Amino acid sequence: MKVKIDKTLAASIALHVLVLGWGLVSFSTKAFEMEPEESVAVDVVSADQLAHVMAGMKSGKKENPKPLVEKVAEAKPVEDAVGKITEKAPVVTDTTPPPQPKVEEKPVEKKPDPPKPVAESKPKEEPKEAPKPIEKKPDPPKVDPIAEALKKEEKKPPPKPEAKAATPPPQPQKPKERTFDQSKIAALLDKRDPARQATTGDTLNSNAALGLSKGKAADNSATWGSMFQSQVERCWKKPYGGIESQNPEAAFSIRLKRDGTLEGMPVPEGTPATPYLRVYQESALRAIIECQPYNLPAAYFDEWKYFAPVFTERKT
Amino acid sequence: MKPLQMTDEDQSREMLLRPSRRQIVSGMASLGVLTGGTFRDAFAQAPKRIIVPEGDFAPLPIAIPNFVPGTPSDGEVAVGVTQVITNNLKRSGLFAPIDQAAYIEKVVNIDTAPQFTSWKTINAQALVTGRMTRQPDGRLKAEFRLWDVATGQQLTGQQYFTSPEYWRRIAHIISDQIYERLTGEKGYFDSRVVFVDETGAKERRVKRLALMDQDGANVRYLTRGSDLVLTPRFSPSTQEITYMEFGQGDPRVYLLNIETGQREIVGNFPGMSFSPRFSPDGQRVIMSLQQGGNSNLFVMDLRSKSTTRLTDTPAIDTSPSYAPDGARICFESDRGGKPQIYVMPATGGPAQRISFGDGTYSTPVWSPRGDYIAFTKQGGGQFSIGIIKPDGSGERILTSGFHNEGPTFAPNGRVLMFFRDPGGNGGPSLFTVDISGRNEQRVPTPGFASDPAWSPLLS
Repeated sequence: MKVKIDKTLAASIALHVLVLGWGLVSFSTKAFEMEPEESVAVDVVSADQLAHVMAGMKSGKKENPKPLVEKVAEAKPVEDAVGKITEKAPVVTDTTPPPQPKVEEKPVEKKPDPPKPVAESKPKEEPKEAPKPIEKKPDPPKVDPIAEALKKEEKKPPPKPEAKAATPPPQPQKPKERTFDQSKIAALLDKRDPARQATTGDTLNSNAALGLSKGKAADNSATWGSMFQSQVERCWKKPYGGIESQNPEAAFSIRLKRDGTLEGMPVPEGTPATPYLRVYQESALRAIIECQPYNLPAAYFDEWKYFAPVFTERKT
Repeated sequence: MKPLQMTDEDQSREMLLRPSRRQIVSGMASLGVLTGGTFRDAFAQAPKRIIVPEGDFAPLPIAIPNFVPGTPSDGEVAVGVTQVITNNLKRSGLFAPIDQAAYIEKVVNIDTAPQFTSWKTINAQALVTGRMTRQPDGRLKAEFRLWDVATGQQLTGQQYFTSPEYWRRIAHIISDQIYERLTGEKGYFDSRVVFVDETGAKERRVKRLALMDQDGANVRYLTRGSDLVLTPRFSPSTQEITYMEFGQGDPRVYLLNIETGQREIVGNFPGMSFSPRFSPDGQRVIMSLQQGGNSNLFVMDLRSKSTTRLTDTPAIDTSPSYAPDGARICFESDRGGKPQIYVMPATGGPAQRISFGDGTYSTPVWSPRGDYIAFTKQGGGQFSIGIIKPDGSGERILTSGFHNEGPTFAPNGRVLMFFRDPGGNGGPSLFTVDISGRNEQRVPTPGFASDPAWSPLLS
């Protein structure tokens, strides 16, 4: 009995630790407190341009020729060749071939690819799906000049046997993944290994960059936050509190108008407990008032029209 | 973040103790509540928090226009008070008084709010306005207001009456008010310093006890210089000084009332008595008595004249100083081989050594705030002034050089005064330094000066 209890306890503890640990990491409040960040010299880019750069490419396919290739694989193509190509077609001498031909052909088969955009939620999938077609394509492309049409015919046969992995499945798979069918997951895993190798090797071509899974293009608080910091710090004459650290902290909530001036008096959070903290808070208040108007990017007015500057000695 | 860390600790503790299942379940539940709480906190904060982290401390720009004379004959004293205040704040290193030449607005009436925009223009963050008025009864009325320029608020305002010759004290008191309101700490300007004034050639130096304001004004001599005097110390009552004098025979500890000039020997001991210091309540004097080749600490009650021995070692124990609560003393002893600083209960008992650095430590002084002990450290051919926490941690050297010695704390524990002797044919002079090591300033004295002792606040 004891043994059983121990196991369940251990399992439950381990699970809790995992879940809580994950929660601590991913939900830690740091996400909401911007660390001090140094302003970086940048080119001035209009909001439109920025939006354009940030926009994910749902329909666009190959604007970025070199997307996420971690290892520009010389070795991988070789391995891949050994693994699959031998089976497929001995004909192919696996010279990392002209990417361009692939491009040409991809569109043809990429009708299956369009799933990629759909797959945004899980970028990893895209490579898998896309690559496979690509791999298969490369083999034929090598012969491109000779006869494209024939190869296309050939290609279709090979993909289909494996194609369960590639073209037809993608659409059905995605919904299934979301439902977490174990059998499907297993299938995906099997496919992944080969797929990854293929992608890395082939990515020289194209993989439409769809952005990172964590991507937060819309949140530019780090940018305007550090702009605010550097501006308000110029006016901040900190009271000197001695060398013993009281860890003073003074937080306000402030509302700014579009022109960067204060809409009203900053509202301090809490009342200071000691004379020094009161003085500290007053000095910060003075700085906020004195440094207006703030020159912050107008494009993010919605973000900085109401926020909470925290003046602190705390060393993070 | 703290609750999060706690949950981690809780968890690991539970793992180690292997408690019952129920405990674990409840523990997990509480964990869930805690983390849930932080989740809620995190999401409940509507405005995004922008951290403005530590920057540099900067002296506060303050405008101090000349006080307004209440009657035409008060112009001189009004300007004098303004200058004393400006000088005090500037010397503290925490304020940057703005040159009067830059002022746009001339303050003519302190009863109405000033035009803050014209003070903002010159980047003043605080503004002091005031008025000095001679009253019909001959007294002097001093009024002042301290304004926050950014918000337009009056931070403080006071009025005082005094006899005209004490106008400097009024200026010091106003300085303390401003200092306290803008730094959150007590001021130290309304205080005095007793020191040993040194005149004459190096071989035949005349040493006299002297008293002055902390800014060097109003110097007054307390002894005539016929006998050598050393180590004056202020009583917390500010009326009395204790010091050591080489008269006929052995050097003795004396008590001197600075108001009446009355003088008496503290106790009547065989042998030499030296390095006296008052207890925080001013009722006792603690000192060293020489007995043969060593010396020990004794404390004497000034009323009952009863004497208690605190240490009994074959070593030299000297330079005792009380903690502000009177419960402990720090002192210097060579019982470990070299002079080091020790802390022990004020009633005697086991002493704990707190200084462990290279070199020797001497002249420990406990800060009136209780947080630090200042000392003179000798080592590597240098004399340094430093501070250390009573538990022996946080040692830091504030200044070092050929000869620095004799630190004494300002009443607020934020500033140290000490004397520096450059060697050669010159003589020592007095300096102040902030306990952070910033803002070292020379204190003006009429001649050479050594062994300063800061009084408590006069008011």
